[in-house]
Amino acid sequence: MPAVPAVRATGLVKRYEQTRAIDGVDLVVQHGEMRGLLGPNGAGKSTLLRLLFGLVRPDAGSIELLGSLPDAPNSLALQGVAGFVEDPSFYPYLSGRANLELLAELDDETGGPSIDDVLERVDLAHRGDDRVSGYSTGMRQRLGIAAALLRSPRLLLLDEPTSGLDPAGARAVGALLPELATQGVAVLLSSHLIGEVEHLCDSFTVLRNGRVVWNGTARQLQGQAPGSAYALATNDDDRALGIADDHPGVSAGRLQNGVVAITVEEGCLDPYVLALGQSGVAVRRLEQLVSPLESMFFALTSDETSIDQLKPYELAEKALART
Amino acid sequence: MTTTSAPTRAASPAPAPATRAHGGVWSVYRAERRKLAAQLSTRLLALTCVVGPFAFAAILQVQSGTPADALFGVWVHSSGFALSLVVLGFAGSWGFPLMAGVLAGDMFSAEDRYGTWKTVLTRSRSREEMFGGKVLAAMTFAVALVGLTALSSLLVGLVLVGDQSLVGLSGALLSPGRAFLLVLVSWLISVLPVLAYTSLAMLFSVASRSGIVGVIGPILVALATQLLDLIGRGVTVHMLLIGSAFDGWHGLFTTHPFYGPLVVSSLVSVIWIVACLSASWMILRRRDFIGTPATHRPGWTIAVRVVAVSIVLIALLAIAGNRGPVGVTAARLRASITPEFNNITLLQQQLFGRTIPPGAQLDVVSSCGRHGATPRGPGDWTCTLDVYIPQPGKVPFTQTPVAYDVSVQSNGCYKAESPPAYVGQQMIRDAQGHSVVNPLFVVYGCFDTL
Repeated sequence: MPAVPAVRATGLVKRYEQTRAIDGVDLVVQHGEMRGLLGPNGAGKSTLLRLLFGLVRPDAGSIELLGSLPDAPNSLALQGVAGFVEDPSFYPYLSGRANLELLAELDDETGGPSIDDVLERVDLAHRGDDRVSGYSTGMRQRLGIAAALLRSPRLLLLDEPTSGLDPAGARAVGALLPELATQGVAVLLSSHLIGEVEHLCDSFTVLRNGRVVWNGTARQLQGQAPGSAYALATNDDDRALGIADDHPGVSAGRLQNGVVAITVEEGCLDPYVLALGQSGVAVRRLEQLVSPLESMFFALTSDETSIDQLKPYELAEKALART
Repeated sequence: MTTTSAPTRAASPAPAPATRAHGGVWSVYRAERRKLAAQLSTRLLALTCVVGPFAFAAILQVQSGTPADALFGVWVHSSGFALSLVVLGFAGSWGFPLMAGVLAGDMFSAEDRYGTWKTVLTRSRSREEMFGGKVLAAMTFAVALVGLTALSSLLVGLVLVGDQSLVGLSGALLSPGRAFLLVLVSWLISVLPVLAYTSLAMLFSVASRSGIVGVIGPILVALATQLLDLIGRGVTVHMLLIGSAFDGWHGLFTTHPFYGPLVVSSLVSVIWIVACLSASWMILRRRDFIGTPATHRPGWTIAVRVVAVSIVLIALLAIAGNRGPVGVTAARLRASITPEFNNITLLQQQLFGRTIPPGAQLDVVSSCGRHGATPRGPGDWTCTLDVYIPQPGKVPFTQTPVAYDVSVQSNGCYKAESPPAYVGQQMIRDAQGHSVVNPLFVVYGCFDTL
C-alpha cells in the first residue's frame, strides 16, 4: 500500500458567517478503502465533500488528495478524483451523451472507459441521446455515476449516490462500488442513512455539527453498537414484556403507539423467542426496526443531552423516528 | 481527533492515467463553444443577425420613406452601402448591447441556475481555465455575430439597392470601392465596443448570478449611455462611455478623415474590457461554490445593489457631463457644414446634368448659433449659409440665404434639414428623368470633437 493516502485532511475548518459548518475535521481515506461519511442532515457532510473537491476554500486546515494539494496549479489535485456533491447536475438542454462528451472534454485523463461503456454500465444506453431535461431524478443520479466513472477515478467522492434510485438501481450501485474498491479505488461515501451504507463500507466517519464524533472500522462500530431493535407482536404482550425482564441482554417496552419493542444484544434473541414459546406466548410478528448501527448512529449524532439515560428500546424508537 | 486505519480491498491503487497535451483553456473553450452552439438563444441571435438586415431592407422596399434620423438614412435607396451603415448605427445603439446581453449575460449565471458549477469544477480544469475558456468562447461568438450582421447587411444592400457611390459625411461622393472598404473597416472597428459590452454582460452575470440581470444589464447601460449623450457639453465623460467607440468610424467618411475619437474610444473599449473581466475574475476567484438554498439566493440582493450603484453612477456622470473641453462649438460646426454645403450643392447640380468644372467652389459665408442658448454643446442649432452667386448685369452679385436646422450630437455628428422653399423637395428629377434623393434636403456630417 502506498504511503500517501487517497485523502488526508487535517484540522479542516469552514465557517459560514457565524456558523462553523466544519470544525476541526481530520479525515484519512486509504487506497482501496470504502469509507462511509455519516451524519444527519446539516452535519457538514456536503460541506466536507465541497472542501475536498475545492469548491469551497477552508478557513483553516489542509487537504491532500492522491498526494496533491488543491492549490497546485492546473487542478492537479483533482486528477483521478471523481464524484459529485448533493444531486448531480447537468445541462438540461443537452443529451446525456452530450453532457458526458462535454465533461470528457474538460478531463485530462485518457484511456478510461468510453462514453458508451459508462452509459451501458449505469443502464442509460437506451436514453443517452435524450435531453437531460427529460430525465427522472434516478436517471440523473445514474448519469452522475457515469460521469464519475468516465474519469477512471482513483478516488471517488459520492454524496448520497443511491438517493432517488429505484431498488434495482441502488443494488447496482451497491455492487459497483465494492468492485471499484477491489481495483484500488478509494471511495468516500456520504449518507445520512447508515442502513444504506453499512453493508458497503469498511470504515465510517460520523459527523455531528461539523465535528467528527466517531471514526473507525465497521467492526469497531459493530462492537460498540447497542443491539438490534425489533417490533414484537404476540398473543400476550404483557407476559412477553415480563419474560424479557428475566433475560439478560434483552430490553423491552412499549413504544408510544403501543407496539412492543425489544432491543437485544447479539446472541440473545433466540433464547428469548424460545422462552416465549415455552411459556405459551405465541409470536405473531417479529420485525427488525433498527439495526445496531442505526441505533449507534442515532446515539452518536443526536443533539439530545439525555440520550445516555434512554432505555435501549427508547433509543431504538427515536432512531426509528429519525429514519 | 485520531484516525483509524481501515481494512482495504486492494493492495495497490490503479495506475495514474496519462494526461492530455492540449491546454486547459482550449478544452474549456471547445466545451463552451459547443454549449453556446446548442442553446436556442444563440441560434436565435445568429438567425436575427442574418435575417434582420434582410427584414429591414424588405420593410424599406415597401415604404416610400427613409430612416432619415439615422446617419446615411436618406441614402438607403440610393446606395447599398448606406443600408449597411444604417444597420451598423442601429446595432451600435441597441442591437449590439442586446446581443451581448443575450449571448454572454447568462454565461456564468447559467451554471448557478443549472447547479453545474460543481459538475464542471470537479473535473480537471481550474477556475482560471474555466474563466478563460468561457470568456474566449463568448468573445468568439460575439465577433462571429458581428461578422454575420456585417456580411448580411452588405449583401442585402448590394443585392437590393446596388453598389452605387455613397455620399460621404462631407458631401463628397465616395466611389463604390472606397465605400465598400470603409464599410468593412467600420464594422471591424465596432468589434472592440461589442467585446466591451460582452465583457460587461459577463460581469453582470458573474456578480449577480442572475441571467435576467446579465441579459438586461447591458441594455440598461446602453440606455443610460444614450441619455448621458444628451446631457452636458464636455467631451471627457462622453468619450469614456462604453458605447463611444461605436461612433469611431464616422471620421473615416469625411473628406479629411479624423482618427482622434477612433483611437481614444478604442482605448476606452479596451479599458472597459480589461476592467470588466478583471472584476469578474476577482469575484469568481474568491467565490465559494456552496449549494444555494432558495432562501439565500444572492441574485436579487446583488442585483438591487448593482441597480443602486448604477443610479448613483449615472447621476455622477450626468453631473460630470460638463467636465473637460467642449466638443461641439460654433466654429467646428461652421467649418464642417460650409464645405459640405458646397459639395452637395455641386452634387445636386451634377444630378441636374450641369457640368461642374474641377475645383469649382461656391462663395458661401456661414454662421451657426443656438436660439436662447450658449453656442456650445450638442443640441439644436441653426446655421445660415449665405451663397453669393455672380449674376450677369448685377453688381456685384446676389445673396441667397439658406437656413438649416441642425441637430448636433455629442459625438460631433449632425443632421441638417432645410425647408423645401430653400432647397427643393426631398425627391427631385435628375437629368435622365429619374426620381432621386435631393442631396440638399437632409445633410449628414461629422466633425472632430477633440
